[in-house]
Amino acid sequence: MKKRVLAGAAVVAGALLLSACASGQTDGASGKGETLNVWIMEGTNPDSDAFFSDVKSEFEKETGAKLKIDFVQWADAHDRFVTSIAGGTTPDVAETGNTWTAEFADAGGLLPISSYVEKSGLEKDLVEGLEKSGSYDGELYGMPWYAGVRGLVYRADVFSELGIEAPKNWDDIVAAGEKIKAAKPDMIPFAVPGNAEMSAYPWVWGAGGEVATEKNGKWTSGLDGEKSREGLSFYTGLATRHQFSSPGATTWKETDVLDNFVQGKVAMAIQGSWTPATMIEKAPDLKGKIAATTIPGKDGGISPSVLGGSHLSIFNTSKKPELAWEFVKLMTTGKFAKEWASQSGYFPGQKSLVEETMKSTDPLVAPFAKQFVEGGSALPVSPRFGAVQAKQTTNAMIQSILSGQQTVEKASTAAADEMQKLLNQK
Amino acid sequence: MTQTTRPTVPARTERVGTIGTPGNAMFASRFRPWLLLAPALLLLAGLLLWPLIRVVLFSLQDYGLREIVSGTSNYIGLDNYAEILGDPTLWTAALPNTVLFAAASVVGTVVFGTLVALLLRSLGGFWRGVLGTVIMVAWAMPAVTGTYVWVWIFDADGGIVNRTLMGLGLMDQPVNWFTNPVTFYAIALLNVVHHGFPFVAVTVLAGLLGVPKEMLEAAEMDGAGPIRRFFSVIVPSLRQVFAIVIILSTIWDFKIFAQVYLMPGGAGSNRQVLNMGVWSYVESFGQNRYGFGAAIAVLLTLFLMAITVVYVRTILKEEKNA
Repeated sequence: MKKRVLAGAAVVAGALLLSACASGQTDGASGKGETLNVWIMEGTNPDSDAFFSDVKSEFEKETGAKLKIDFVQWADAHDRFVTSIAGGTTPDVAETGNTWTAEFADAGGLLPISSYVEKSGLEKDLVEGLEKSGSYDGELYGMPWYAGVRGLVYRADVFSELGIEAPKNWDDIVAAGEKIKAAKPDMIPFAVPGNAEMSAYPWVWGAGGEVATEKNGKWTSGLDGEKSREGLSFYTGLATRHQFSSPGATTWKETDVLDNFVQGKVAMAIQGSWTPATMIEKAPDLKGKIAATTIPGKDGGISPSVLGGSHLSIFNTSKKPELAWEFVKLMTTGKFAKEWASQSGYFPGQKSLVEETMKSTDPLVAPFAKQFVEGGSALPVSPRFGAVQAKQTTNAMIQSILSGQQTVEKASTAAADEMQKLLNQK
Repeated sequence: MTQTTRPTVPARTERVGTIGTPGNAMFASRFRPWLLLAPALLLLAGLLLWPLIRVVLFSLQDYGLREIVSGTSNYIGLDNYAEILGDPTLWTAALPNTVLFAAASVVGTVVFGTLVALLLRSLGGFWRGVLGTVIMVAWAMPAVTGTYVWVWIFDADGGIVNRTLMGLGLMDQPVNWFTNPVTFYAIALLNVVHHGFPFVAVTVLAGLLGVPKEMLEAAEMDGAGPIRRFFSVIVPSLRQVFAIVIILSTIWDFKIFAQVYLMPGGAGSNRQVLNMGVWSYVESFGQNRYGFGAAIAVLLTLFLMAITVVYVRTILKEEKNA
């Protein structure tokens, strides 16, 4: 448990960082007349055009090279990476989702960047969870860029109208749900989506269970453990036993939860730190009516939630690795990293910058920052975990419980078996 | 069977000038058709046959991302096939779902399409035009768009079906139609029939218009009712049209993918609704097991070819007997 929770609070920061920032003197990467090809995922930042035109001119000023940025939809990205690797049309640098980096590194598509990071003196200033998921076989392949975390988002207006406090433990959630169910029969007190694995893991960890652990190179899934089952049965019980969710939610994805929250139908849900901005953008009348808190632990405290995010990776087919690194550094440190994070509602991948965010008092930022530092957790770091996600092992488990096809015991046993098999596959 | 596939060699008497010796002439007349066909055949081979061969080659390998990056091959014989045949997913979900769904949708599409064709034939020119245009819209709608419309209609919380049923007092609580495999595929069936019937209707209508009026009148004079006329006069004269329509529908409905993949739970999270197409996709592109996915695709192709061959043979046999 300890090792999973990020030690971000105890940031060493300071001197190292300053020296890193000062090294803007671009050691030998003069790129006059060169063009760097970059893929960035679309949909993270609602307004990225202005940001990237700033980046372009800054990059040209620093290195003399031009920047060509292609935006790729998250949903198509994995396939596009694979086809571009096969066809030899990879970009120089790409944003890679943090569960993909190890997978592409394992396949031999990425350039190891540990030496660059050390040369720039950044190795001690990376957010731990992102550094871990960007590493493979002791080498760093993905430079931490930004990360997000999920917390409990709720309707502040409904809570204050009914005199409910933000839940601090699991019993509080049930009590709040019952009150909302009684007073607002048209609302979904707590959305339990069946197609959103990231909303399910906090309950497993919060009850003291494990998703999967490695020992001597062999993975064991803990989903069928007693504590995991307790967490899963509490979470699914919110829908099946307490009827806080809706039948439709059985097949909802995380984005469906967001849509319904925006439509004002949902009172409590697990949502990412990047969503409140989107919610208010889509439904301006929700401004001031949304609040967030850390996901409560069973008897208080915090249920850890998954730290999701992105790396910037350099493909090993790139003919200008030095120039590529200059770009990566420009994006992931200092001014641009900070700006990107604050615009998109994510946290920067640089520890010292997260420290600054921690000081925020914004009620829609501070709880997530707390969850990020004290209750941020990583999924099993294995190039094979992408396969588990693609197989929808966890979703299948939750969905079959919610739809009543299987009991928690049966579903978790099947999921644990499948996860173990996939993780241990060569 | 063989007669139909062999290219017809022009009769010798047809041979045309410029040919010197008789031996040369024979050579030329024999190969000329092939020569003329060569560009088309080469194109087809390049576009269709080569990818097919590649898929078969992939299916014999443990082909993953690493192989793509390095460009190496990794043959493992028939292991992929053995794994598929030993996988309970095939027998409990993928195969039964695919076969039953294809059977239901072929029957549904052909029956409904034929009924619409009969209706169209009995209409006057103006209304035939109107109705024809309207059904073309259903055909022109992309599968993805159509699927989302049906998903929306059956949506658990805001869908019109649940609202109506609850408004009529037939249900107290909204039902999620997508979690149960039977209702899931019933919705997919509506979607596929809705999308596929216009083709059948138009094709059958073309055939219907070719059935001589005198024959139908003669049958009517002999006292045959509409049903009798349909089965004893129309169906026999449209046998070939039906053959085409059924074979094409079978092929299309067997490899259905988008319509299932895009429905809630259809992309792999509801294991009871997996079909062959989705299974192959999830294994190839989700698991990066391109070899395994290719093997599923090859099996599906073989299965389809077997069905088509059997079907074509029965049709041809009936033709000979008739």
